[in-house]
Amino acid sequence: MSLQRVDLTTALRPSLLPDETLLFVQDAVGLYEGKYKIPTCQNGHAYLTSHRACYVDNEEPRKNSVAVALKDAGFLKSSPKVTLHFKPPRRTSALLGAPSRSGNSSPLPRTSTPVSPLSPPPTPQPANTATWICPICSFSNPVPSNFDFALVNANTPLPPCLACGIKPPLARVLKAAVSSAAGRSVSVATSEPVQPAQTLPESYTRSDTDGDGDRDEGSASPVGSTATFRCPRCTFLNHPSLLSCEICGASLVSSSVPTHLLADAELHRSESPGPSMNSLGVNGNDITESIKFSFRAGGEKIFCERLKGAMVQRKWLLQNAPPIPKPNRLSPGDASASENAGAEEPQKSPEQKKVVGIAGLERRGVDMRKNNELVIGNAFEDLEALMGSAKEIVALAESFASKLNTAAGGAAGAEANAVLSESATAIGLVTTKDMLAGTGSAAESLYLSELARNLAEFLTDDARGVLKREGGIMSLVDLWAVFNRARGGVELVSPMDFEKAAGLWERLKLPVRLRRFRSGLLVVQGREWTDEKTIASLLDWLRDLHSAPGGGYVENLESHWEIELFGRGVTAQEAAEKFGWSVGVASEELEMAEERGALCRDEGVEGVRYWENWIVGRNESMQVDASSSPSSSSSAAAAAAAHGR
Amino acid sequence: MTTPSSRPSPAEQPFTFPREYHFPPFFTRQRNAITYTAQCQKWSKLILDYCRAKRIWRLSLVDAIDGELFWNKSLNRRLSLADAREIIDVMKTKEGRAEWVSKDKNVALVYWRNPEEWATVIGDWIEETAQRNTVLTLYELTEGYLTASQEFHGMDTEILQKSLNVLVKRGKAQVFGSEDQQGVKFF
Repeated sequence: MSLQRVDLTTALRPSLLPDETLLFVQDAVGLYEGKYKIPTCQNGHAYLTSHRACYVDNEEPRKNSVAVALKDAGFLKSSPKVTLHFKPPRRTSALLGAPSRSGNSSPLPRTSTPVSPLSPPPTPQPANTATWICPICSFSNPVPSNFDFALVNANTPLPPCLACGIKPPLARVLKAAVSSAAGRSVSVATSEPVQPAQTLPESYTRSDTDGDGDRDEGSASPVGSTATFRCPRCTFLNHPSLLSCEICGASLVSSSVPTHLLADAELHRSESPGPSMNSLGVNGNDITESIKFSFRAGGEKIFCERLKGAMVQRKWLLQNAPPIPKPNRLSPGDASASENAGAEEPQKSPEQKKVVGIAGLERRGVDMRKNNELVIGNAFEDLEALMGSAKEIVALAESFASKLNTAAGGAAGAEANAVLSESATAIGLVTTKDMLAGTGSAAESLYLSELARNLAEFLTDDARGVLKREGGIMSLVDLWAVFNRARGGVELVSPMDFEKAAGLWERLKLPVRLRRFRSGLLVVQGREWTDEKTIASLLDWLRDLHSAPGGGYVENLESHWEIELFGRGVTAQEAAEKFGWSVGVASEELEMAEERGALCRDEGVEGVRYWENWIVGRNESMQVDASSSPSSSSSAAAAAAAHGR
Repeated sequence: MTTPSSRPSPAEQPFTFPREYHFPPFFTRQRNAITYTAQCQKWSKLILDYCRAKRIWRLSLVDAIDGELFWNKSLNRRLSLADAREIIDVMKTKEGRAEWVSKDKNVALVYWRNPEEWATVIGDWIEETAQRNTVLTLYELTEGYLTASQEFHGMDTEILQKSLNVLVKRGKAQVFGSEDQQGVKFF
């Protein structure tokens, strides 16, 4: 399978599919394809979602970001790198097969690969070679053919080691079986760096005649069927699982372990011996056997854990699954409850229709409460069920929240509340401290940058139009309130984190910016909206007022000619109404324009009005004005005539 | 008074205010430094022009603040006393066109011509009218019918003293006599 391009949101995060949830984020991640470093993908964020593992590049996110669909991922192993092995394209029905039926096509060998001279090439094997290594005597035992790791549990009987007779731990056999099923090496901890050598021979091509998987494996000697490993000292052909030569005792470790695995833990990336490849394999034709996420700043453990969780849950299968059957119909002990539990649903039983009036309303209320009780009770029965009914619970929680909101808020707040509760459902506001690995400053800064992206998405989302509703500018405090309310009262963001995250927009090249007015007021604006644009629009507006004087203010004036000449002053209130700003923002913008010299103030008994600045350079601008438009020149002449009297 | 009655007194002639006088923000102290500088310049010019037209030598702010100079009644806008003082201060320090008579900053001498300029004007007049080596009293100089057509007619005595001092320094005049009976001899 190949990598896919990933669609990014405005905040340069992967845009999620329906039902997809973000599980984990880690920064300072590099990407390998097979053993090859992808040079363009060496510094970025890894986003793990329930459906995909995404890499988003820091430098050129639009160009060099890729995703791996988890349904294509075969198996993974954990080290400082997390490797995702792709299932071969042929096998798409099941995620992982039983080991006895684990026929795999061998990965296409790369001709350009600089292969370590001592690592044995994959050789064709006639027999099923799912083997497990006895932890006592290191003997390679075959995994029984009826061993299906998808079904086993702690009680499954396991055959003892053929050499020493000690029963193996279940985990070990399981690992061996799974690795065989994936046709690739099994999870290797860094503490056991020798094991890649032993598992290397397990990738091979199996002939199709063996595909039935009924063959009895019990008596087959695994040693004879696997590739051997030549001792560099005495040339004896050892079993590949041995740590040292059977004859001379020479260590087989150093030569057999691929060097790049040993180098993984080091942070000097320039010295990494991993070969590079020139381009991303995203064109679809290129078959990649595995993708490695290299974690340079930690976080791989949690990533791996959550990845495993996501692979077990397999949420992508649920995409078209039918909704969970309503559990409330299943309680036979409480007949009335089960009858009326579906009160919210369109179908109504005939008995219900008979109850009318206040009694009916009360009855409905009781029914709904019972229904809710049932739903919640079922959800908390165990964690699996909670996962299953998560959607329902969330919807319920939100309906509670919206009820609370409408009860608390006045008439003015009702609309806002509706929007808020709507948006709470629509958004995956999921960046939480919980999602990020570890503690300390690294995790903190990652949290902040993710929060910044989250905020940018929240602001620029056209469907919500948070910023647009506020006239393209809103104070940070307002945003904080809206954002936290949209989170539905959980995982609230602290004001300090919020301000820090907002401060990161500039650096992350996000499409919103934080502005500090002279008074210290912090506002949020779209990046493209600058002071110059604000001033230009203010002046345009003021110039429009020359020809169209309105309002009682003008009527008080004795002479009208200077209104045609000077226009008229505007208050912050008027500006707020005109541009859809809040009054605070409007007065700040007007003061900003005053500070730039575009406007001047007029403090009267009714408050401060702002005028186009005729005090500075009035003569020049008047001449320009007069020459540009005949109407204003005539008004200037009229003014002169008025003076001449 | 020896002012010819055929001509109306300059104080009675209507003063033509400049356009900014009808611009409401003109009466508010601007916060922007550049705007304020321009505003001060315009006010300074307005005050000097007004005082020249009305032949005002001493501007009493407390009285003038209620006059048409600082109060545009049609706009219902007026300059506050503090702002007016500030503008006079700027006129004094930046342009040397005004001077406080007392420390309480209520009355200012307004120099639509400063003492040096007045000294030149008076010297030129003496020259034109061939009055060198004659002795004139200060009263004659400012209130006499000979000077009625001159710009310095009716000049404030304090400004006159300063102007004559300039002439004395230049070596063109000599002032003598006691307080009220001062005379000046031009060379």
